[in-house]
This record gives sequence, structure tokens and C-alpha cells, in this order.
Amino acid sequence: MTAAEQLLLPVALNTQRVNNRSRFWMAFRRNRVAVFGLVLIVLLGLMALFAPIIAPFNPIEQHIIDRLKAPNAQYLLGTDELGRDLFSRLLYGARISLVIGFVAQGVSMLIGISLGLVSGWYGGWIDDVIMRMTDIFFAIPGLMFLIVWVTIFEPGPLSIFLALGLIGWPGLARVMRGQVLTIKELEYVTSAQALGASTPHILVRHILPNAIAPMIVLAALGVAGAILSEATLSFLGLGIQVPNPSWGTMVQFGKNYLPTGQWWLAVIPGLVIMLTVLGFNFLGDGLRDALDPNAYSK
Amino acid sequence: MSKYIIRRLVQIIPTMLGVFTVLFILAYLMPGDPVRSVLGEEYKRMKPEVVEGVRDQLGLNDPFIVRYAKFLGRMVRLDLGESFILKQSVWDIIGYRLPRTIQLMAGGMFVALLIGLPAGILAAEKQYSWVDHGLMLLSLVGVSMPVFWLGLLAQLLLTQEKYGIALFPVAGYEEGSVIHMILPSLVLGTALSAEIARVTRSSMLEVNSKDYITTARSKGLPYRVVLLRHQLRNALIPIITIVALDIGYLLGGSLVTETIFNWPGLGRAIVPAIQRQDTPVILGILIFGAFMFVIINLLTDLIYALVNPRIRFA
Repeated sequence: MTAAEQLLLPVALNTQRVNNRSRFWMAFRRNRVAVFGLVLIVLLGLMALFAPIIAPFNPIEQHIIDRLKAPNAQYLLGTDELGRDLFSRLLYGARISLVIGFVAQGVSMLIGISLGLVSGWYGGWIDDVIMRMTDIFFAIPGLMFLIVWVTIFEPGPLSIFLALGLIGWPGLARVMRGQVLTIKELEYVTSAQALGASTPHILVRHILPNAIAPMIVLAALGVAGAILSEATLSFLGLGIQVPNPSWGTMVQFGKNYLPTGQWWLAVIPGLVIMLTVLGFNFLGDGLRDALDPNAYSK
Repeated sequence: MSKYIIRRLVQIIPTMLGVFTVLFILAYLMPGDPVRSVLGEEYKRMKPEVVEGVRDQLGLNDPFIVRYAKFLGRMVRLDLGESFILKQSVWDIIGYRLPRTIQLMAGGMFVALLIGLPAGILAAEKQYSWVDHGLMLLSLVGVSMPVFWLGLLAQLLLTQEKYGIALFPVAGYEEGSVIHMILPSLVLGTALSAEIARVTRSSMLEVNSKDYITTARSKGLPYRVVLLRHQLRNALIPIITIVALDIGYLLGGSLVTETIFNWPGLGRAIVPAIQRQDTPVILGILIFGAFMFVIINLLTDLIYALVNPRIRFA
């Protein structure tokens, strides 16, 4: 190899990388549904972030004269039983739902990825113990576990993050373990070992980056699941107790006004939950197609 | 085969032991005073010594490890204990409510298969057409809908004249009444039907490229025979897997559906039990739910092994 070639080598490697990445983006962009999902999520995120600027009213400010008003020019999405502006409340509710979705899924990923890595790498009895643990947590009915959990630990943000994380990790751990089992047989891992790299180094620098693609897909779908679970919990009246209610709590209170004709109080927050979850499902689905190497040829 | 069955049966033991342990720790940590639940209104009039007596009698003063051992002993004898409030054995409560929950779950599963299977087959047949894209888009909408919201919408639009038509009763359960079952089953089955449609589609496409399908077609077999007898039958395994894994989802979903439609099943029993700290009922239902999940998954694994010798001898 000449000196010039050696100089060129890293550049060549780099373009290869960019190619992979741009190939991913091409596949992702072609999937209009996935792009729509991403746009939906970014929009929601921005609305949650800038809620104090966008919201026309204070979400807990009561306008008793204007109670139970149908959607109109002043109150875009109507008002509730205390005359609070539904649109403003939904904006602030987005903060709770999105934070819970992301953090809870983060907890699941942290547990699932680390246990999956360890399980797949070491094998043997460690693998057995971890896999039996996934069986156990798979078997316990998730929603019922959540309900019992919040009666023990109070439905605060921290306890809900933990509970959703505990429910969500087994699937991730199993997929991660499967990935590790394949990757650890590959030559670059063997050569890293031969060069004397430490186990944590190999796990974090060589195996994790190559195993991450299916994790990203599961993460997007998992956020959707976590948001749905939190909404269900809140609907049952067991969600986070804060002055600005989460979307599920709004549906819970709103349902009492369905028989009397104030449909918007339950229907609109539910619709917002659905759109949010849909956004994450669209994104996850599109990512799966874009990251699947077999998808290119089709 | 018998070796495989024994191995899978033995695997249940550590799983259920783990489930017992996790749930026992949860129950141990439950706040509040069970004695209060047991004695109800009498609690306030009781002397502290009497309360302590009840406590001893219930074994609440034993150390953690003793209580845990006693609990495991009762589990081995399949003794789920007695409700603090209803003074009724937990098995009786489950025995009364379980058939209703199973009825609802079966209804949901029926709806899910009724919609999901044909939709998945159709999407696979018309792969990449607008029918396929439309159905898959619709299925994502289906899995994204909160069950409770769908239930409320159904009640709003299909049970009263104000915004829709009064086709079905708003809620409630009647022995043997089909019309009471329709809405709850639809609500519970919708999200599942979407999932089944997706799995059916990808599984059908997978099988479609197999040689035996080409052979069957080139033999000149009628289109429908190839589709149903060769393609669908071989595509069933992933579909069965999803159906089995979704038992847990159905159990959770039926909790919400039962709450909305006032359906006297297991889910409707657990919420008040939690509010009244009726620990034996809570534990009993959770353990039973986990056991159901484990058994159904065992059965699916055995069915696979029957169908596919490669699993049996692995």
C-alpha cells in the first residue's frame, strides 16, 4: 500500500459510512407514512415545549360563566365543567404524556439492553437466570401490575417511569440477546478479543452499535405503548395527580359529560392520545422498513 | 416428544415461583392496614388487644420470611385464601367471574380473527397496491386507539339516538344475551384485529415465495385451494404465536372494557379490591392471570412441537 493510498483509506471508509446513512435516509424519506409520523411527533413536541406561549389561556384558570361551552372562536376546543380552556389543557397535558412516554421507554431500554447484552455475551447460567426473569415479567398481566404498583408507591412520575420500565424490558432484552448471539461470532469481535480489548469495551464499542437497529424500532413502538398505558391508568383514575391533568385523566372526567351532550370533553383528548400514539407507530413502522437491509432490494 | 413436554413442564416451576415472589413482595409492600379491611366498621370500636389478636390470627405479625414460606405453602396447595371483605374464598370469586371474562376475551378474539385474517390475506394478495397500503394504514390506526376511548365512542354513536343510532344496549351483562356482547367484543377485538392483520400479511408473503407454493400452482390446483390449504395453513404458526402472546393484552384490555361496559368479570373485581385493600383477591387474580398466560404459552409451544419436528428435537 502506498502512502497516498493509506491517506485515502480513512476517507474511503468515511464515504462508505455516509453512504449507509444516506441510504437509510433515502429509504426513510420514501416512506411517506413514517415521515408523517416524525412530523407529527416533532409538532407535538414543539407544542408541548412552547405550551406557555401557544396556550391562549392558563390551563387551570376557571371561567365559570363560560363553563361547558362547545368549541367556538374564543375557546377553540370548548371548555370543561369549570370553564377551563380545553385546548390549553391539552397543550400542557402533552408535556406529561410525552415525558412519561420517553422516560419510561428509556428505563425499559436501559434494563432491556444491558440485561440482553450480558445474557447473550456470557451465556450459561447467567443467560438462564435472565431469560427466566423475562418469562416471569412476561407472565404477570401488565395493566394489573401497574394498578397494584401505583397503589403501593403513589402515582408519582418516578413510580410510573419505574413501573412502565419494569413491564417493558423483557421483549427488548430478548431481541438484544438474539442480536448479541449472532454478532459475537463475527470476525471483528474475535479480532478485538485477540487484540486484548476488555469485555466492556467490546460490548459497548463493537456489539452495541451493530445491534442497535432493531432496538431503535422497538423504542419508537415502545414509546407508543408507554403513552397508551399511562393514558389507560389515568383513565381508571390512578394516574399522576397534578393540577394540569394528563390526557387520560381528561377523558376520565369528560366521560361523565357524554350523556349530557358535552362530547368534546372526552372525545377530543382521546383523539389527541390516538394521534400521538399513531405518530410513534408510524415512525417505528417506517424505521423498521428503512433499517431492514432486505427492504432495499424490493 | 414426551421428553420435550417434560422439559417444558419443568420450566414452568421457576417461572411461577418467580411470579409468586414478585407478587408476594408487592402485596407485602401494600400500604394500609389489612386488619382494618377485615374488621371494617368494627375496627374503631375494637380494643387494641383484640386488633392484635386478629393480626396474630392472620399471621400479619410473622417475620417476612415466615409469611413468604406460608404463602408459598398455600400456593403449592392451590389455596388462594379468602377475601377480607366478602368473606368468600378467592376461588369462588374467580369461579364466578372467570367465565364472564373468558366469554368477553373469546368475543374479542373472535372479532379480531374475523377482521384480521381476511384483511391480512387480502393485503398480502394485493401486495403494494392501494388496498394493501390502505389496510396497513388502517391497522396502525387500529393499534393506536386507546381501548377506553373506542369504548366511549361506541357508546356515544351506537347506543343512543342523540349523536348516532340506538343499536345496542349501553352497558351491562345478561346471561346468554348476544346483543350485550357485541359492542364489548368489538371494542376489545379492534386493536388485536389490526395486529393479526399485520402478522397474517407478512406471514402469507413469506410463505408465498416457497417452492411448494410454486409447485402447487404449477400442478394447476385451483387458486383458492392453494391460497387456503397450502399458503394459509403454513402461515398459521406466527399467527398462533401472536394470538397466544396477546392473552396478556386481552386480560388487560378486558379490565378496561369491563369497566366501561359494566361487565361483571375479573377486571371489574380487581379495581374495587385494590381500593378496599383486599389483598387476597388482588393476589389471587394476578396469580391466576399469570398462570393462564404461562399455560396458554405452554400449549402453543406444544402445538408447534407437534407441527414442526425441528423444534421437538432441538
